[in-house]
Amino acid sequence: MHDPSASRGRGQPAPGPRQFRSPVNAGLAGTGRVADDLYLMAHHDLTGKPLLQPRPLGLGLAGGLLAELMLGGSIGLRYDGAMLADRSWPADDLARRVRDQIAAELVPRPLTEWLAYLARTAAPDVAARLERAGYLTRVRDWVPWRPGRLIPADPDWAFGPLLRVRSALDRSRRFDPREAVLTGLAVACGLRYRLDQYTAPAGRSIEEATGYLGAGPRELIARTQAAVDSALLSHRT
Amino acid sequence: MSRMQVPVKPSAMSRALARDRLGVPAVLFFVLAGVAPLTVAAGVIPSAYATTGLTGIPAAFLVIAVILALFAAGYVAMTRHITNAGAFYAFIARGLGHPAGVAAALVALLAYTFLQVGLYGAFGPNAQAEAAAHLHLHAAWWVWALAAWAIVTVLGLARVDITGKVLGVLLSAEVIVIMAETSWGLIRPDGGHLSFATLSPSALVSAGFSTFGVLAVVAVLGFVGFEQAPVLAEEARNSRRTIPVATYVALSVIAVVYAGASWAMAAHAGTAHVVTAAGAEGPGLLFGMGAGWLSQTAQVLFLTSLFAAALSFHNCVWRYIYALGREGVLPAALGRTGANSIPKAASLTQSATGLATIAIFALGGWPPMTDLFFWLGTTGGFGILLLLAATSAAVIAFFARNPHGESAWRRLIAPALAAVLLTGIVVLAVLHYDTLLGVAPGSPAAWLLPAGYAVMAVAGLGWALVLQLRRPQVYATIGLGAHAVTGQITPRRVES
Repeated sequence: MHDPSASRGRGQPAPGPRQFRSPVNAGLAGTGRVADDLYLMAHHDLTGKPLLQPRPLGLGLAGGLLAELMLGGSIGLRYDGAMLADRSWPADDLARRVRDQIAAELVPRPLTEWLAYLARTAAPDVAARLERAGYLTRVRDWVPWRPGRLIPADPDWAFGPLLRVRSALDRSRRFDPREAVLTGLAVACGLRYRLDQYTAPAGRSIEEATGYLGAGPRELIARTQAAVDSALLSHRT
Repeated sequence: MSRMQVPVKPSAMSRALARDRLGVPAVLFFVLAGVAPLTVAAGVIPSAYATTGLTGIPAAFLVIAVILALFAAGYVAMTRHITNAGAFYAFIARGLGHPAGVAAALVALLAYTFLQVGLYGAFGPNAQAEAAAHLHLHAAWWVWALAAWAIVTVLGLARVDITGKVLGVLLSAEVIVIMAETSWGLIRPDGGHLSFATLSPSALVSAGFSTFGVLAVVAVLGFVGFEQAPVLAEEARNSRRTIPVATYVALSVIAVVYAGASWAMAAHAGTAHVVTAAGAEGPGLLFGMGAGWLSQTAQVLFLTSLFAAALSFHNCVWRYIYALGREGVLPAALGRTGANSIPKAASLTQSATGLATIAIFALGGWPPMTDLFFWLGTTGGFGILLLLAATSAAVIAFFARNPHGESAWRRLIAPALAAVLLTGIVVLAVLHYDTLLGVAPGSPAAWLLPAGYAVMAVAGLGWALVLQLRRPQVYATIGLGAHAVTGQITPRRVES
């Protein structure tokens, strides 16, 4: 069940070039979590408005949450597509909650059902996590009783994930499974057009980048893509 | 000691997923919202009376409903065992092979495209008449057709849930109006005596046995849309019950509404005079049965119904294009979405076809109601008939390899009966296509239009062989639609 692409450790991001620990650079580096990066990519850098319809967004973020656990070795995919939990717990509360839900099922559920289940609440859950981490800030609505909407705390930080995707497609850069999974999930939930706007034409193709991933993350990306397409074709977006 | 089976309580996850699933009412609503009943009742039926000169249309709706119910038995059974169940070509690919699947996909694209673009031929002249009468605005039919095209294009690029709500509201109003007009027509029959002649089986062959094929194509056109229930198969609460029940209820509702409306029109005008009256009044054959306010409301709703049908078929066509693009059968760019998850390329491709068609007919000066609406509409219905016959054969072939636990009625007897009857209707229709179009025997339109499907089928077979040789991975996933990326060929569902 252990996924080779998770060999780096329990939820630890890939070691990149040395960076100065200033608040600006820390913000640009992101939280190190796939779903957080995907959320920022799927919303406008300034206004915070979603760039995807609710269901594709939810499915993409659900895939992101599962990818975090998969890359951290907390969950894995069985030969028949069922998800199983490992005996390791991620540090993050949201990821731990998802891991515990998977572990609590008496009969292991297929990946597709976990995507559908988590998609229902993934967007607000990931948004809350980003707000706690300081990447989103709430602005008051002009209607007093409305809770207000979340916008990026810093537009440059919100643009950071696109830079990481760009890095994943750069042949001169070392392969990073987290960046590759982020790239694959972004395409799966319908953000390819954003990638095409900001990534260099030459370099690794998206298929090439995700092709280096282990079987588990590749299956996760494919199932997420299929779920998003099914939602579109059945008019349930 | 015997083992006791302890019932397992559904988990919170099962309950949550089941809540999101669709029941029979939601699926039924989705199917009927796409049918746009007033388009058929006020558009197709009077045009059919006038163009074909045949009066057996009410009986044809009832007979075709029975044949489609036979078809549906195998169709919904196979839905449970394949992915991408919303498309005929998926059934045909899984049953008859991938080359047949690609051929069917191109035939379906042509059929649904004819159905969609043909509607502009009815919208244009009717909007022209309404605008001139009530708003004193005078413009050519194609100006109004282009306006409708522009709105369809914009809405086709909008969030699809908005268009679903619009269709739902229109459906309710249309059904009420048709039932009201039907009631008025039946309580005021010609000569004070209500005739059942057009409902009699003898009406189907009153002009010769072979013309039943013509009547059948008209009736099938009325039922187009009932086959969309499996689009929601993977979202249904109970796959063994929800889709079949919604399909059969939709068939019943459509049959009763259209048979009733067409019968009322013939009864009100008189069986011997309905053809002449239809030629003179067109949609007024339905509108004229009711009182002034009802008639006026029906005329306005007729325009919205035509528009709704155009939008619904637009969505149907881009869904096909998008699925084929995702599989790689069509260029991959057609299978991509842009901002807000909109399948822009697929939607705009269909819009371009509509624009070109309106332009051709406007420049050619051909009558839009006959040549664009009825000819292309019935040819679209003929295409659906071809797909129904092929799908019946595919159902038999699919279950012959593996019964999947389905009964003999569902996997063999019902689809075999449907295949024989539908194929017979196809043959009769081809032999009498001139009667269907209301043209002289030997007229070019009578063989050019149906021949278009032969061209698409041959092109599809050829393209499938090219894919097999040059892109075997794409060939292997033909018919899988959204699941082409995973290669998943059987659905996995949560049953409540």
